[in-house]
Amino acid sequence: MVTVRINGSEFQVQKNLTILEACTHAGIRIPTLCFMQDVARNASCGVCLVEVKGARSLVRSCTACVYEGMEIVTNSARIRDARKTNVELLLANHPKDCLTCLRNQNCELQTIAAELGVMESRFVQTKKRVPLDTTSPSLVRDPNKCILCGRCIAVCSNVQTVHAISDSQRGIKTRISTYMEKGLGNVACTNCGQCALVCPTAAIVERDDTDAVFEELMDPEKIVIVQTAPAIRVGIGEAMGMAPGSLVTGQMVAGLRRLGFKRVFDTQFAADLTIMEEGHELIHRLTNKGALPMITSCSPGWIKFAEHFFPDALPHLSTCKSPQQMFGAIAKTYYAAKMEYDPRNIVVVSVMPCTAKKYEARRPEMMGAFEHWKEKRAWSDQDAFYDVDYVLTTRELARMFKESGIQFASLPVEEFDNPLGESTGAAVIFGASGGVMEAALRTAYEVVTGKTLADLNFTSVRGMEGIKEAEVDMNGKKLKVAVAHSLGNARRLLEQIQAGQSPYAFIEIMTCPGGCLGGGGQPIPTTWDVRKKRAESIYAEDMGKPIRKSHENPQVAALYRELLKNPLGELSHHLLHTSYEKRGVFVWNTNGSRTKNLTHAK
Amino acid sequence: MDGTEVVSRELQQIDAVISKHKGHHGELLSILEETQLLSEQQFLSEEALNHVALRTGVPLSRIYSVVTFYSFFNLKPQGKHKITVCRGTACHTKGSKALLDDLGLMLGCETALEGGDAFYTTPDNQFTISTVACFGQCALAPVVAIDGVIHSNVTSGTLQKLLARVSRRRVKA
Repeated sequence: MVTVRINGSEFQVQKNLTILEACTHAGIRIPTLCFMQDVARNASCGVCLVEVKGARSLVRSCTACVYEGMEIVTNSARIRDARKTNVELLLANHPKDCLTCLRNQNCELQTIAAELGVMESRFVQTKKRVPLDTTSPSLVRDPNKCILCGRCIAVCSNVQTVHAISDSQRGIKTRISTYMEKGLGNVACTNCGQCALVCPTAAIVERDDTDAVFEELMDPEKIVIVQTAPAIRVGIGEAMGMAPGSLVTGQMVAGLRRLGFKRVFDTQFAADLTIMEEGHELIHRLTNKGALPMITSCSPGWIKFAEHFFPDALPHLSTCKSPQQMFGAIAKTYYAAKMEYDPRNIVVVSVMPCTAKKYEARRPEMMGAFEHWKEKRAWSDQDAFYDVDYVLTTRELARMFKESGIQFASLPVEEFDNPLGESTGAAVIFGASGGVMEAALRTAYEVVTGKTLADLNFTSVRGMEGIKEAEVDMNGKKLKVAVAHSLGNARRLLEQIQAGQSPYAFIEIMTCPGGCLGGGGQPIPTTWDVRKKRAESIYAEDMGKPIRKSHENPQVAALYRELLKNPLGELSHHLLHTSYEKRGVFVWNTNGSRTKNLTHAK
Repeated sequence: MDGTEVVSRELQQIDAVISKHKGHHGELLSILEETQLLSEQQFLSEEALNHVALRTGVPLSRIYSVVTFYSFFNLKPQGKHKITVCRGTACHTKGSKALLDDLGLMLGCETALEGGDAFYTTPDNQFTISTVACFGQCALAPVVAIDGVIHSNVTSGTLQKLLARVSRRRVKA
């Protein structure tokens, strides 16, 4: 412990704390902009300045550490003046189009300018305006709005170990770049959107599809149905101004009906279906000496990560499509036939906590339903359609609710439509890290042993630990499993597999920290405290569900009875399973030949 | 010798450079520097950078970050002759902007040199024109360096002669 004086009062604080941390512990707030807890401290913005007695100039409190006898002042005319000037310097080159900006009222630069009382922008623009990066199907980058805080680079490099972006040039020309300015869509980017989640401004945002969806909703010819991922019900309330983690399943359903969706379905139905397929795939691999460990395939950022960086590990990935894609394929086959709808007129809109899902929906192989009908109905390629037509993030849905004047908090509680709205507790927990594992274990255990599980809660795979392990006894056979969230942790498990030292039979990997509830499409800010609150709601919803095991979902059972017959059967193979592509990290060769199977050593 | 052989020979040379510097502090800079010097046109091609990334395990985005930070590194082929016009304060007041404009007229690239801050290579790869902030030869302003030789008190007339001399050399060779 060291003794410091902050604003004239003495405090005992831990050694090695930064001034900012020490002040936070002492209950004294220092405004910050570029700093982000657990993500980045680049000391680039100059907002967190404080006075330290004896120091030659003002000190950036996010990086300077306390020492015995330090005397700190956090508020003085000199400090206020310097903070304002630094924000004004950022504003000089920041487009002042706040009213028409996607991050209007959710922008940290806007907030800090208001908080510090910045009333003018004295400095002239010195940087040239540059074009947007619109190459990615998931994200749009506007370098003009960038304040060079470096959070996106930190999250992409340190948390995700993807390294899709870095800073380039120097001085006034410094900017955030992809390799050779190729654009996010042309480099090894996983589309996870964590960069958008940490960006303080609108320099990286999700590709906005709200206008296209509004247009479809207005088309009387179309049957527009919606599916919602588990993590939306613990995120959308927050985006509509409620407390973090608010559980709003029923209001969300009511709101979607008011937007004009003909049917409101649940991706959780497809999550239960995923467990049926993936659980049986695991059992099949265990009994037929298949590639082990088997790794989950629900998270499209993770899939692309594996394709880029670990192409040789692809046989370990479950061949199951993600719940979103299973839903699309089933909606345009099983449900279309049941309702006698022309599948070409069905528009499937997904609401996902995820920007990578936008990319996943446009993967060329994700046309299972069209392939299914093509021959039966003698359709040509002109009729081709994707299984999922549009993907909206939680943030985009919130925008649609607001634009439509929906008073979210006062909406009644409504139920999902049937049959694709029926789901179990096992499906809810897909939204949290460890959930797919827990859901799979609930089903696999009962299928393999024939016994009923006494305790459904596999608490060892829950929580925010980066890599979690568990051991399950199945009829005397011990099964080691692991759960990882964020791609940096995934990389560690993959390297273990490459070295031939993986002790596991089954691994769950989620791209985003905390799992889908911390996805790149979730409300901003998403901090660890917020993630924990969302997780609590996820597990509360699971506890409240009358059925908590996927294989007991009656509508999934009906789907097998009426159409699919057996898990891993022939129809499942065509509609619910997929294959992967070895991409390597050099993905842009224009001569058509792709440089194969190249991975970074680190 | 066809193109692919040239490429593979270059990549082999890069491999040798990498193994020479492997494990040394700041190895990436040394590797990139020598790789550029290996290339006939004094630049780092995309193939070369890809190869360095692959062999060293340094992410592509970080390599790009490094090669764009240092002005020593070139991402485009360099001309046979290098002309550097000083745009420091002293040279500017003695008319270095006019010299840059003259170069633009002589080499047919006026628009590329507009604004007084240039980095341009003529399409025939004969000349690369660049600017620097100061040579430290302010007393002799304005100064222009041609192929490493600094010429002082340059006027439009002397510049024309200097350029003609270089061009003649080129024709002879």
